[in-house]
Amino acid sequence: MQAHRQMPRLFGRGALALVIGAYTVYTLGPFLWLATMSVRNTGEISADHYAWPNPWRWEQFRVAWVDSDFATYFWNSALVVVTAVAVVTLVGAAAAHALARYRFRGNRVIYGILFSSIIFPPQITLISLYQILVDYNLYNSLLGLTLVYISLQLPLTVYLLEGFFARIPQDLFDAAKMDGYGDIEIFRRIVLPIGMPAIATTLILNFIQLWNEFLFAVVLITDPEKRTLPIGIRAFMGDHFQDIGMIAAGVMISVIPVILAYAFFSEKLIRGMTAGAVK
Amino acid sequence: MAVVQLDKICKRYGGAGPVAVDDVDITIGDGEFMVLLGPSGCGKSTTLRMIAGLEEISSGTLSIDGRIVNHVPAKDRDIAMVFQSYALYPHMTVAENLSFGLKRRRVPAVEIERRVRDAADILGLSSLLERKPHALSGGQRQRVALGRAMVREPMVFLFDEPLSNLDAALRVNTRNELIRQHHRLASTMIYVTHDQVEAMTMGTRICVMNGGKVAQIGAPLDVYWQPADTFVARFLGAPPMNLFTLPVASDGERIGGESVGGPLSRWSEAARGPYVGREAIFGVRAEDLHLSAAAAEGDGGRIRGRVFAVEPLGAETLLAIETEGGVECTARLPRDVTARPGELVELHFAASAGYLFDKATGKAIPADAAVGGVAGRPVLGTMQ
Repeated sequence: MQAHRQMPRLFGRGALALVIGAYTVYTLGPFLWLATMSVRNTGEISADHYAWPNPWRWEQFRVAWVDSDFATYFWNSALVVVTAVAVVTLVGAAAAHALARYRFRGNRVIYGILFSSIIFPPQITLISLYQILVDYNLYNSLLGLTLVYISLQLPLTVYLLEGFFARIPQDLFDAAKMDGYGDIEIFRRIVLPIGMPAIATTLILNFIQLWNEFLFAVVLITDPEKRTLPIGIRAFMGDHFQDIGMIAAGVMISVIPVILAYAFFSEKLIRGMTAGAVK
Repeated sequence: MAVVQLDKICKRYGGAGPVAVDDVDITIGDGEFMVLLGPSGCGKSTTLRMIAGLEEISSGTLSIDGRIVNHVPAKDRDIAMVFQSYALYPHMTVAENLSFGLKRRRVPAVEIERRVRDAADILGLSSLLERKPHALSGGQRQRVALGRAMVREPMVFLFDEPLSNLDAALRVNTRNELIRQHHRLASTMIYVTHDQVEAMTMGTRICVMNGGKVAQIGAPLDVYWQPADTFVARFLGAPPMNLFTLPVASDGERIGGESVGGPLSRWSEAARGPYVGREAIFGVRAEDLHLSAAAAEGDGGRIRGRVFAVEPLGAETLLAIETEGGVECTARLPRDVTARPGELVELHFAASAGYLFDKATGKAIPADAAVGGVAGRPVLGTMQ
């Protein structure tokens, strides 16, 4: 009787495992293919696209890192993205807290303006941003690119965090006030720790988005020494020849920080995405 | 310990906006347990939040121990508050929650540890100090919230409906715990609730609020037996006091008629004089109604009506009837009542059990102190 009842459940679980397995192959397959290509040269890849690496050409990573200036691109990317994400997270959290918690004239107007900047594609700002950077001598500089990245990601960050922070019960703020804490202390000791799942979510999303950002970087940076990783990878693509093996090695290098960031924050990311009412 | 004085306190939202608290005058004595009681939206929580410093006072004066604190920030008023939601910091352990306020006040670490340990011992939290709030039951959270206020050793404790999230059994336990802590600490406590049982059992005095105003202040039994108006009469008591709008006889000695009526012998001729030949509101509590005239000590009044609900509560039975005039009336009767829905019954009450209110203002018409009341019940008009 019991076995009879368990049959549909087992079948359901099996079907679920099958779907998850298929989806994993679907998403992980291209990545593994790219990983194998990163240790093969372009000639080998052209001969057989899907062959197993033989030999394993690890030196491609050294060539990319040292000979093709990937070390420079990597540090440029790291500097720009880490700075931008740090500023976006801190300023975004503070702004979201202010919008969620304080009643002041124009609160919803500011929120509306932020929201409107999310719904338009960022590409429409490209030409004006280019002109502004030229006017302020920030064109072709990492500082200029960092500022652009901050302005690109800030509205969505504020929007996401505002929604989360608004659900933190007012009583917690009142209790902290009664306990003797001022506004900045409450932000630091109450809002930031409680909002950490949401902050981690925006942090990782911003990091991935900016780490892979190509369009603004390619328009606003011309100096080879100031290239970020996505533009660096582009350097392996010529008009008539594409060094697929080196492109794959470059992509693998660029993807490692994203994987590390996700691995580090994934638990908080999932908690942030599934966060219900804050109790 | 402190005296908290509210002098013509008003709270208006947005300048000329709606008035949430209107001209409230309350003096809460040193070590007193004052309960602010009223329905939702009556202004009791707003009043409490103004005392706490969490809401600005639109007008009037708030003083604690003679010091005006209208513009003193919440953190400098030496007040601790227990919130309805407990407001425990979810990312901190119980010990951290308890000590959070003390750390800000630069209390020495040894002293913090002592106070946290003492509060934990008193409230039975010693084994829970390293737990986070999500791992606690509702009752444990409530005790942590109380402990957080206690470790502060404040001049005044404020409670904003702290028991409303607990189940019935736990509510009774925690209520007793709070009463015990009040006796132990002998601190001034101000407690907001909409639950009349909490108010009656916990308060040294009750302040009943309605529509942002104070309806009545007094000792629990005084307010229960001597309601200042029909609102208080209905709000205190479960079931609420039965009220009937009835004509006063031309000789002023009786109110109502055959279906619902009773003598006005408790009121002096002078007191009932203005109402002769006019309508007034007559009230009688559910527990003062009896099925036999003898039980009502004779010489009283009666209410005739058809039973529409019988609610056996075990120890007693509530009998709801509808009078000929369509007014509903509830009696609290012994458990062996045999009346059935649809049956015509007559309920009796003693002359001393009646209340009289002005129809226009709803205010109580004080009875003559010389006329005796029901045993154990003070006479209307003698309230201080």
